[in-house]
Amino acid sequence: MEPTARSFARNARKALGDKTLQAALGRTTGRFLEHRAAAVAAFPEFEATRERASEIKMEALARLDLYLGRFIEEASRRGAVVHVAREPAQAREIAARIAREGGIALAVKSKSMASEEVSFNDALQEAGVEVVESDLGEFIIQLAGEPPSHIIAPAVHKTREEISRLFERKLGEPLTDSIPALVAIARKHLRAKFLSAGMGVSGANFLVADTGSVVLVTNEGNGRMGTVLPRVHLAVAGIEKVIPRMADLPTFLRLLPRSASGQILSSYVSILTGTRRAGDPEGPERMHILLLDCGRSAILEGKYREVLKCIRCGACLNSCPVYQSVGGHAYGWVYSGPIGAVLTPLLVGLPEAAPLPDASSLCGACGEVCPVKIPLPDFLLELRADLRAQGLKTPGEIVGMKGYAGVMKRAGMLEALERVAGVLAQFFTKGKPVEGLPYPFSGWTERRDFPAAAAQPFRKQWKLRRGARG
Amino acid sequence: MTGVDERTLLLRRLSAALGRHGGPGEAAPPEEPAFSAATEEERIARFARAFTSVGGVILYGPPEAALPVLGEALRAEGVTALFFPPGDAGARQLAEALVPFGPFSLTTGEEVRGGSPAETAGFRTADAGIAETGTVVEASRGEKTLLPGLLSVVHVALLPAASVVDRMDEVFALYADAPPRNISLISGPSKTADIEQTLTVGAHGPRKIIVLLV
Repeated sequence: MEPTARSFARNARKALGDKTLQAALGRTTGRFLEHRAAAVAAFPEFEATRERASEIKMEALARLDLYLGRFIEEASRRGAVVHVAREPAQAREIAARIAREGGIALAVKSKSMASEEVSFNDALQEAGVEVVESDLGEFIIQLAGEPPSHIIAPAVHKTREEISRLFERKLGEPLTDSIPALVAIARKHLRAKFLSAGMGVSGANFLVADTGSVVLVTNEGNGRMGTVLPRVHLAVAGIEKVIPRMADLPTFLRLLPRSASGQILSSYVSILTGTRRAGDPEGPERMHILLLDCGRSAILEGKYREVLKCIRCGACLNSCPVYQSVGGHAYGWVYSGPIGAVLTPLLVGLPEAAPLPDASSLCGACGEVCPVKIPLPDFLLELRADLRAQGLKTPGEIVGMKGYAGVMKRAGMLEALERVAGVLAQFFTKGKPVEGLPYPFSGWTERRDFPAAAAQPFRKQWKLRRGARG
Repeated sequence: MTGVDERTLLLRRLSAALGRHGGPGEAAPPEEPAFSAATEEERIARFARAFTSVGGVILYGPPEAALPVLGEALRAEGVTALFFPPGDAGARQLAEALVPFGPFSLTTGEEVRGGSPAETAGFRTADAGIAETGTVVEASRGEKTLLPGLLSVVHVALLPAASVVDRMDEVFALYADAPPRNISLISGPSKTADIEQTLTVGAHGPRKIIVLLV
């Protein structure tokens, strides 16, 4: 997928003007947050589990060569063929080759964010394969020709009316305003695809090193359909998905659904190990696992290693005031919200994603909800420093911040400026918030008021109050 | 083949990125979490609470006593055909005994797999239950197919009370040495909230799951 993260400001303005999107975002993120909070409150071991998950992931990353080597060995021993793509183009080539060699005409795909990174569907389609997204949200946006806007709720920006019109146009179904009827339409169309597809494509929530297993977590059951019925299974996953042992799995399964949707466990967890064995009643004859590096080994080497702990729950998106306002598309690539603001610059390059580290109020909510304790707020700050070091900040911002630093280091100058601001505030707005400032400050006051300076500087007020108390 | 080369190159790249040159091996496995010493009765009660809270229905055996209720539940979902794994005697007996309780005919997994349009109920004996999460565990091995819990409208799982464990860890410990191709953890009906965040059951799999505890 081509990043458009450089246009974050324009993308965000468009999102802010989209009334449907605004209503959907408020409803969705609010509900996810409530459900998550309730699930966490009902699970006293949450903090301890979080701590343990973070430690396991750090251990897996610190010896990733070893654990990934073990994963490849165990998966191969059980009949899977493991491929590695260093870059997106290579991933597309491998996917096309697998489809060609398997004689695949139709592939059903369950959700995989990693596959979006490499424009996976395009590669299969160019190889003459029909690719059908089977997660309901993904199915909807595939019909609409749009990218996902939320990690776990890709079609949050669409209303039932829009979806019904889409089903009418693309599938020839009668219009309806009933959500169960819409779900039934998708079920019927996708069931036929599941039963006839030659290949099922899945992502992976976890790769288990000591057994070579691929673990899928879904609610709809599409992940199971596509990995039980078709004769070929292709799993696409980033190399950071490895956990050392099957015994580590419960720790993560206790965190992922609670953090994502507030569920104790998602409806379906599939642990898929190798190909079907002699005497098995079903399962694929061929299993391919496509591991994506695509920038990850470089992240592993640097100071942002911990971002690779991410289990893609989406909790940081829901808790982020910026995401709540602009939604996922504004971030201009596969990953959105705070995790996107950190991961996108690291995977596609800082110059391609320069506005993203600034798409944050640094409120810290993302760091608080992260189930594997990624220091997202620290990383956002660190990336801002990197932007400055690489000369990717505008001269205006650099001068402004230098001036700010200069004033903040001199108490006398700060107090003098505060006095001037206080007088101006009394003179112009009688101490009420400022509703309109001239350019270039109008960017601030277009959407919110600027608080007026107090009549007295803080230090003076402090002294007076201390004095009054004696 | 590029596969072999790229795999070796990747591992080398990772070792270099980590500054590891044949460094220490795997860390010691974490301490085994303590399995709770709950009694079977406590485990069953916990399982029932969790399974019901995720939208599952639980019935208590013996099977003969559950037939009328089960028949009514299947009729309510419009079920017309029943199927079960060929080698699963318990599931077969239950399905056959249910035929008189509705306009039900017997069908096979292959028929359903072939795309038969009937609304089906799929029967199968589960491998285990997990009290912590309200989960039914079904693995694909030997004659035990996953199709009854996959392609049906209503899934009826026979769950032996003695196979209900307290925590997830106990189930994974059972499989860690020789995992079958597919271990399926089922916790409630198939569901989606992808349209306007409205929870709807029966996305791809069963819209109802019933456990008959035996």
